[in-house]
Amino acid sequence: MNHSILSASALLLGTSALFGQGSAFQTPGMPRQVYGPPKEGTSQDNSGQASRFSSVFNPAFSFVGDIVGDYRSGGEEVGWNAELRALEFGAQAWVDPTAWAYFTAVSDGESLDIEEAALHYKGLGERHTLRVGKFFLDFGKQMQTHIHELRTLERPLVLREYLGDEVSGTGVQWDHWFSANDTTAVRFSLGAFSSLLPEHEHGEEEEPEAEAEVAGRKSIGNLNYSARVTGFTDVGTNGTLQLGTSARIVPDFAFVDEDGGGEVGGLDNTVWGLDVTYGWKDETATKSFTAGLEFLVNSGDVGAELGAAPGDAPIVADGTRTGWLLFADHGLDPNNSIGLQISMAELADADKTEALEIEAYYTRYLSEFHRLRFGLSTLDVDGADESFRAAVQYTFFVGAHGHGVNW
Amino acid sequence: MRLLTLLALVLLGLSAQAAEKLKVVTSIPDLADLSRRIGGDRVEVQSICKGLENPHFVGIKPSHLVAMSRADVFVQVGLSLEVAFVPGLLENCGNARIQPGRPGFINASDGFAAIDIPGQVDRKLGDVHPQGNPHMNLSVEGGAVMAANILKGLCAIDPAHKADYEARHAAWTRELEAAQQRWKKLGEGWKGRKVCVYHQDYAYLIRGYGLVTLGSVEPQPGIPPTPASLASLIATLRKEKDVCLLAAAWARRSELEEVRNQAGVTLVELPNMCAGLPGTESWIEMMDLLHKRLAEAFGPQKGT
Repeated sequence: MNHSILSASALLLGTSALFGQGSAFQTPGMPRQVYGPPKEGTSQDNSGQASRFSSVFNPAFSFVGDIVGDYRSGGEEVGWNAELRALEFGAQAWVDPTAWAYFTAVSDGESLDIEEAALHYKGLGERHTLRVGKFFLDFGKQMQTHIHELRTLERPLVLREYLGDEVSGTGVQWDHWFSANDTTAVRFSLGAFSSLLPEHEHGEEEEPEAEAEVAGRKSIGNLNYSARVTGFTDVGTNGTLQLGTSARIVPDFAFVDEDGGGEVGGLDNTVWGLDVTYGWKDETATKSFTAGLEFLVNSGDVGAELGAAPGDAPIVADGTRTGWLLFADHGLDPNNSIGLQISMAELADADKTEALEIEAYYTRYLSEFHRLRFGLSTLDVDGADESFRAAVQYTFFVGAHGHGVNW
Repeated sequence: MRLLTLLALVLLGLSAQAAEKLKVVTSIPDLADLSRRIGGDRVEVQSICKGLENPHFVGIKPSHLVAMSRADVFVQVGLSLEVAFVPGLLENCGNARIQPGRPGFINASDGFAAIDIPGQVDRKLGDVHPQGNPHMNLSVEGGAVMAANILKGLCAIDPAHKADYEARHAAWTRELEAAQQRWKKLGEGWKGRKVCVYHQDYAYLIRGYGLVTLGSVEPQPGIPPTPASLASLIATLRKEKDVCLLAAAWARRSELEEVRNQAGVTLVELPNMCAGLPGTESWIEMMDLLHKRLAEAFGPQKGT
């Protein structure tokens, strides 16, 4: 009996000691389980501390939906189609007083890709930024932006052909800007990446072709590099003029026939670009006009075709290809704009086939946070039927967003 | 030789004096005017907006970035008025002196009792501002608050000249008090007068003078009108008499004309910042013109 009482007392004492110290099953370092409802005016966990369950330090979130319906005639795709082109989810927050981080995940309804996940470190001093992670190539005026942010339905032909539809690399980039005078800012960026080759477009079934690949491990001299210098100045009271030059350098890569197994290595490619942009806003900041030109030179090993038989090495085209894009956009008011974009490129085949793409559009912002775009475009490739596309694009933006400087 | 030395010393002295001036950048010209009035010759002031813009759509120019990178003081209205350009400028200018929380950052609406603070922040309400209507620079009471915050900021960053700033602020306050008497007298008969607005720029004046708002061309702040919303507004206004349509220079002319012509209202173009329309170089002059145009539109005989 006494033994039983002693045992029960010991058990009770032990239990109260356990409650006093937290759950017996608590993992060291984990927050203590809280019992009972939270006190009014306190944080949810009732402990007076921000814990892993607090939402006070949550990042800012955003969603973007991009839906396109179109009709195509000529070319390889004919007929009507509608697709959820992208559902983008993003988050951003300060990491500490010197750095903020963000990510952008994109799905087309079938797969999920992390397009960007990077940190901006500002601790190097005034006007210096070190960017680390996976982020878009800093090239020209349009490669840094997601497709749904472009003023046209698609990225211009010459950029798609020479650089890729979307090019994000994992690496590090340093950029800095300084003032040349009271009205001129000059910025440069230098980046080193594991790869700056375009990734396969998610969800799209493509014709079999030789894919460009870089080795997983490489010497420092074989990293991929980016560089951009741009000057941006006021023109008169309401205008701005920007000049820039950019480069993407891939010093060592291979073309691989993934199905057949053939491979050609030891290749290199460099794309150079020159861009000029003029922008104007009227004195009420509601009407605008923007025009720009980008000229690109694609040199080295520029493309490849599959070998004649499975297992044969791809046939590589080398030399120099040139192309350009020209655009003009007129903002009639904050909600309506019209524009035209023309792009020409010598394709990366042995014959230097020329292609010309023309796109005209009207964009209606229903509000700042969703818009409708109507576009008409033609693609004329030498030796092939001309293709035509009429499209409607609907894009919505939800949550946190910002208006930065378009370098 | 002695003359040359003397001249060099004078020039050196002048340049040192010039170098000591505080470089002040403001988001809108109203704040630039108040900074000049309070800062006097101690400040060199530059405004990003020029006076006619819709502040919600101002774009960033290189000169803005350069000015912000060199500034000792940055003054904004706040309340999300300048959300289109100030966050981007602060982020990119790389100037630690003027970041929020630092002495060089002045939020001119601090302590101002904003109206129309949404109970629930939701885009269903349009381009809503979580802290309330941001157009406090168009409030009769707004000038004193902006000036007080600028005075406080300048004294904090340059305490050696506190007495100068306070003296100039006191002189400006006397001008303001005289102006407020003028405005009060002009607005005495305005209570109950009917207005329609394009945007919510003039909400403080409307509330302050007891005007009655019958509708807005923008169905919600920042949302462009649809044919249906315009038709509904016109139908409402047609039932009323003596309605004034209040709009800033940036408002879309075609829609203003449509409402004016179809509803028979009086279109009144008002300044939304100083330095935009002729005769509005200072904030007080801008508010004078605003009251003058309203008084002309309402007419003295129509006072209640």
